[in-house]
Amino acid sequence: MSSTSQDTPKTYKTARAFCLTSAFWFTMATSAGMIGAGYLMAPDFMANIEWLHFGRIRPIHVNINLFGFVTPGLLAAAFYFLPRLLRTELYSERLGIVSCVLWNIFVFAGVIGIAIGYTQGREYAELAWPVDILVGISFGLVVFNLFMTVKQRKEPILYVSIWYACAAVLLTATTYCIGNVIWRPDTGALLGIPDAIILWFYGHNVFGLLLTPLGLAVAYYVLPLVCRSPLYSHTLSLIGFWSLLVVYTHIGTHHLLQVPVPTWLKVIAIVDSVAMVIPVMIFLINIWYTVKGKLGVIYADIAGKFIFTGTIMYFFVNIQGSIMSLPQVQRVTHFNNWVVAHAHLGVLGFAGMTALGGLYYILPKITGKPLYSRFLADLQYWFVLIGVVGFTIGLTIAGLIQGNAWIIGETLYRTLPEIHIYYVARASTGLLVAIGAYLGLYNIFRTLFFNPGVSK
Amino acid sequence: MRMTPKVVVVGSFSILAAVVFVMVCWPYAHRDMTPSEIFRPRTLVEAAGRAIYVKNGCVYCHTQSIRVVDWGHGAERIAQAGDYVGDRPILLGSQRTGVDLSQEGGEHPDDWHIAHFVNPRYTRPNSIMPPFKWLGMESLNTLTQYIQSLGMKKADVRMARQRYWKEESIKAYEAGPDVNAKWLADIVPEGWRNLPNPYATTPAGLKRGQFVYQQFCIGCHGPIGDGMGPAQPYIYPPPLNFTILKGREISGGIIYYQIMNGITGTAMPYFKRELESQKIWEVGDYVAVYFINQSDANKDPCGIDASWEPYDCPDGAEARQRNR
Repeated sequence: MSSTSQDTPKTYKTARAFCLTSAFWFTMATSAGMIGAGYLMAPDFMANIEWLHFGRIRPIHVNINLFGFVTPGLLAAAFYFLPRLLRTELYSERLGIVSCVLWNIFVFAGVIGIAIGYTQGREYAELAWPVDILVGISFGLVVFNLFMTVKQRKEPILYVSIWYACAAVLLTATTYCIGNVIWRPDTGALLGIPDAIILWFYGHNVFGLLLTPLGLAVAYYVLPLVCRSPLYSHTLSLIGFWSLLVVYTHIGTHHLLQVPVPTWLKVIAIVDSVAMVIPVMIFLINIWYTVKGKLGVIYADIAGKFIFTGTIMYFFVNIQGSIMSLPQVQRVTHFNNWVVAHAHLGVLGFAGMTALGGLYYILPKITGKPLYSRFLADLQYWFVLIGVVGFTIGLTIAGLIQGNAWIIGETLYRTLPEIHIYYVARASTGLLVAIGAYLGLYNIFRTLFFNPGVSK
Repeated sequence: MRMTPKVVVVGSFSILAAVVFVMVCWPYAHRDMTPSEIFRPRTLVEAAGRAIYVKNGCVYCHTQSIRVVDWGHGAERIAQAGDYVGDRPILLGSQRTGVDLSQEGGEHPDDWHIAHFVNPRYTRPNSIMPPFKWLGMESLNTLTQYIQSLGMKKADVRMARQRYWKEESIKAYEAGPDVNAKWLADIVPEGWRNLPNPYATTPAGLKRGQFVYQQFCIGCHGPIGDGMGPAQPYIYPPPLNFTILKGREISGGIIYYQIMNGITGTAMPYFKRELESQKIWEVGDYVAVYFINQSDANKDPCGIDASWEPYDCPDGAEARQRNR
């Protein structure tokens, strides 16, 4: 890999801080997930604990994953590759540290808030107004830092990863404020059906304008470097970038196909959901042609392995997403565990694995030493991979049972015993992911702080 | 195309602005906030109950969004935009780990809900909802008021029905077992009262009946059918003690009808959505054989024995003669 990691004495404090943030919150997110899975398996498990019960642990799990684990993990890589691709320093490491500390404070405050009942009760927009403001400031600082870094660049050409990273933080800072109805501090919500429309516009854009572009940025940066291959096509990256922004932003209303919202809005959402194959396949063609013939190299590199697997998950989750947006399909798949499987495939399988790959790529570069343990990282890879695949298969089956039973007239209570075994399977495979998270935290912590490895 | 910072920022912001205008602002500007015919505003207590609902994440397992394809509870009312004009935030939900609650109001009396919140398995043995006993009785009552308002004007009609029959059923219960058993039989339409259980009592049938009993009935009526299930302390009139029914001419038809239709006003829900005919007859026979110790299964009038029936109906010869 690149031997230029010591050209300039960079400290990468911000990248380190975000690495640790991501690794820590990954353990918290999976622990929360395990508690939630426990409730679904055995509802009297941990009974009557106010701040842990399912209705609170589920949003805690989701928010930690989105804002504690995946986003910081991808940002850590961005804080590394931006200065490198631009041949400059990060504008301000101190500002970066401040933004990371604030970031952790908002995740922590958000989690505590939900745990004690301060929630806006809107999926993906649960965080209370004061926390929303903290989120806005944290995002603002990251945006400022990255853009000032771009401004002071010595490299005139902007590589595709930079477009994605900059657009992701900038646009998400905006959609976060819109989706959380930030101008209404008391409820953070609109009235009636428009509230659902604005919520799902924002909700789906958490994936569309934050996790996906940041993940693609990391993949576009790491995979060509791992394979030592030039990017297959600049034109494809261009079309992929702009088509992603145009198409992805339209599709949120596919969550509301069975709800009384205007039909034209549903039609747009369905058409664009299907059209998602364009940006997705453009990216995949571009990146898979880039790594063509180098799968052995990828397999030998822990970062490449994680991220390449992420691109495969990206393929599946998006094809699945396009199919799920069709009204006839959604009659079966809506409201049940099929969607939960889909969400995990996207957030953990694609974005999460890409974030982990990004972390394992930058850690040796920013510490100047090899990973503390390649074995632990490999173990984590297999645990997460088996976990997320098993999880997806199990919950997809459960979802098909539920959806098909409901549509032929079975009542919900009758389907509960049918899917119990799949809740057990999901908790079991989820346990693998959780173990993987703790292994990762230990490995990353040791790599950063008590790494006996010899400097390169 | 040369990607400069300006192109990235201006380009992506323009796209976002255009999409926000089309997908958010335009539908907002053309929103229809006309209340539907079932809409009514919430009372203060109901609004407070809704806050508890939001605070505890009930929305993650319960939708309030009835679709065209739905069969279950509430399916008689497909959701309309005008039903939600008082909702901030709107609580459509995204997953049905539990049932849809759009039309939950008046489906059960208040005491059923309290028992259900204390531990959902007390009234619904198959439920996977976590217990909410920790909320305390005051909050549970407030939350129940909100649940009973779901469905708005339609819920109010159902609640009036619940209250009327609650009084009637308490009157009957407090008048003693004789009156109560007679009341329970008399409210069943005559055709059903004279109908014996058309299924033969068989070991396999009793086993199936027990299976159904354990999944649907045991929380209130208890494992030995004496009405002392774990829900009993919260429910009034209390769950029926089946053992008092012996010698009171309780036909299979009466049991079937009461299981199928439920007894509005009491915690006894209807099971006609959950259980098909055979399941109701067989759980009825299970109750009759084991708890009442008196079953009229497979008695005259039988008509023609079904081809799979293991025994000829004992009075079948007579029936065959008569029908010739």
